[in-house]
Amino acid sequence: MKEQDSIPTSKTERSAKFVKTGFKVSGNYIKHYSKKLFNPSLNRDELNLENAADIYESLSELKGSALKVAQMLSMDKNILPKAYVDQFSLSQYNAPPLSGPLIIRTFSKYFGKSPAEIYDEFNIRSTNAASIGQVHQASLNGKKLAVKIQYPGVGDSISSDLKMVKPFAFRLLGMSQKELEVYMSEVEERLLEETDYELEITRSMEFSEACKNIENLVFPIYYPKLSSKRIITMDWLEGQHMKEFMKTNPSQELRNKIGQALWDFYNFQQHELRAVHADPHPGNFLITPEGKLGIIDFGCIKEMPDDFYYPFFSLTSTDMLKDKSRTIKAFKSLEMIKESDDASQVEFYYRVYKEMIELFAKPYMTNTFDFSQSDFFEKLYLYGEKVAKMPEFKQARGVKHFIYVNRTNFGLYNMLHDLGAVVKTDTWYPHVEIAV
Amino acid sequence: MKTAIEIQNAYVDYVLTKGLKPTSVYVFAKENDLTEEEFYNFYASFDGIEESIWIELFNRALTEVQNQEVWDQYSSREKTLAFFFAFIELLKTKRSFVLHSLKHSKQMIGAPSVLKGVKLLFDGFTSTLIDQGVESGELANRRFLTSRYKDALWVQFGVILNFWTKDNSSGFEKTDEAIEKGINVTFDLFGKSPLDSLFDYGKFMMNNGGMNPNVKF
Repeated sequence: MKEQDSIPTSKTERSAKFVKTGFKVSGNYIKHYSKKLFNPSLNRDELNLENAADIYESLSELKGSALKVAQMLSMDKNILPKAYVDQFSLSQYNAPPLSGPLIIRTFSKYFGKSPAEIYDEFNIRSTNAASIGQVHQASLNGKKLAVKIQYPGVGDSISSDLKMVKPFAFRLLGMSQKELEVYMSEVEERLLEETDYELEITRSMEFSEACKNIENLVFPIYYPKLSSKRIITMDWLEGQHMKEFMKTNPSQELRNKIGQALWDFYNFQQHELRAVHADPHPGNFLITPEGKLGIIDFGCIKEMPDDFYYPFFSLTSTDMLKDKSRTIKAFKSLEMIKESDDASQVEFYYRVYKEMIELFAKPYMTNTFDFSQSDFFEKLYLYGEKVAKMPEFKQARGVKHFIYVNRTNFGLYNMLHDLGAVVKTDTWYPHVEIAV
Repeated sequence: MKTAIEIQNAYVDYVLTKGLKPTSVYVFAKENDLTEEEFYNFYASFDGIEESIWIELFNRALTEVQNQEVWDQYSSREKTLAFFFAFIELLKTKRSFVLHSLKHSKQMIGAPSVLKGVKLLFDGFTSTLIDQGVESGELANRRFLTSRYKDALWVQFGVILNFWTKDNSSGFEKTDEAIEKGINVTFDLFGKSPLDSLFDYGKFMMNNGGMNPNVKF
């Protein structure tokens, strides 16, 4: 792997990087249309692919929050064309690493010792990038460890990064400024939490303790004494990421087992803990050689307040949708329908959101659900595309909690789809009144 | 009888408390129960003391990084980075002295006079690194230019030192970034670039490709 030697950090430098991408993207359009002059059959897929590659290159060189945004965009398969998704998926793991002496510097700063003095062995070349840091292999007392190190100054640059990502988000997602404001502040909050490794290690330990009874899940042991503001030490989990795992042609039985573990993990958190690991991208999971699901990152946790939880899951898991006035009331409390909307608008949003909730809730409607079936996902994508084109959706709708809850659940669905798993969906059920 | 270290400490204490150098070696010696002769046995002047403190800092930083287990695995670029991180860390222990010394030193071409000794050592250190880098292919060997690489690194030394004296960030984190970036940029310039290949290709075509202006396609 090509080692990255510098990370542009000052705002002007980062801006320059983004501007460069902008140039390149417009360059790609010019290239595309000039090629098309000679070859009219050329389709947009190729153009999208080139754009995605350039944007990815630019974002991954920036590391930090920009890479995080790339990861986030790549989760929303239903919004982005396939070419973007393929490129952005790259960013989910394997971003270029940073050079060595700074790592030693970070250690001596926080522990007063070099990694060689702390661990029996420490590999100075990182194995993966963790978007705002990188992961190194180490060992101590015969145990294989994963050491996650954060790049200095990440927290500082998040806000300025997000400001610069905005124009790209406009272009990629076709969102309006106002809508983005609501989202960006929520995203910023989560990202800043992610840079707090002390918080992450507390949460990791809490969550792995709370989820320990769920079948077929594996959590690494965390070592708070070997962790600090910028460093997290945990057990090294052996295993494959989802894509590599799928290449080994696993049996349907095994895929179901992994899928079930994934489903249980998420629904247990949503309904029992009311706080959820909100970063369901494949880079955060490993499939161990024993056929279990390893969870390796608790950086992003979304807590669900009651005023979101109850209306939302009442909609998905009771027959509330059959009762129009109660449904509208729930939509209003979730700000999907606003008090200022007139009667025709209320009717319009009621129809569109009802369709969304019905789609979303489909896996919950039966005891088992086959996530391999494409027509369910086709419908999701079609719905996403349809909504994206509606002028009514250029403005902010829905409470901010939707960003991470949607990302979590659609991320979960996508992963289960990639796994092609059939799962029992009635294992952990929402705590809302079923009888109406 | 005092040791060199004691004289050094007494001197540092003097300049930091009073904010200026002693008026003469005579005065300084008298205050510290020394004879002038004893002083001159160790140092030729007050500047000599400062210079030796800088040299000690340099040597300590270098020894420290060279004793790190990973040192031998490092490329020239990483060795330079490691040295600077260690050096800046050490300077922290003597920040007041460093600030004073740089501020009051006579400015000479290229470096403050107190850094004269350090420059010689630094040049020696970087020359070896550059030779190693050229040999391993990490750095491009350019006629006339390779021998100037060490000067570019000395410029970085000045830039980083200067940056650090003005750094207000907690734990001097910004200086860490300045080092990482500055050294990387410098080494990127030393490395093989498309221009080298282009130049090389051009030369080759001129000699062998029959590229002369009269040839028609």
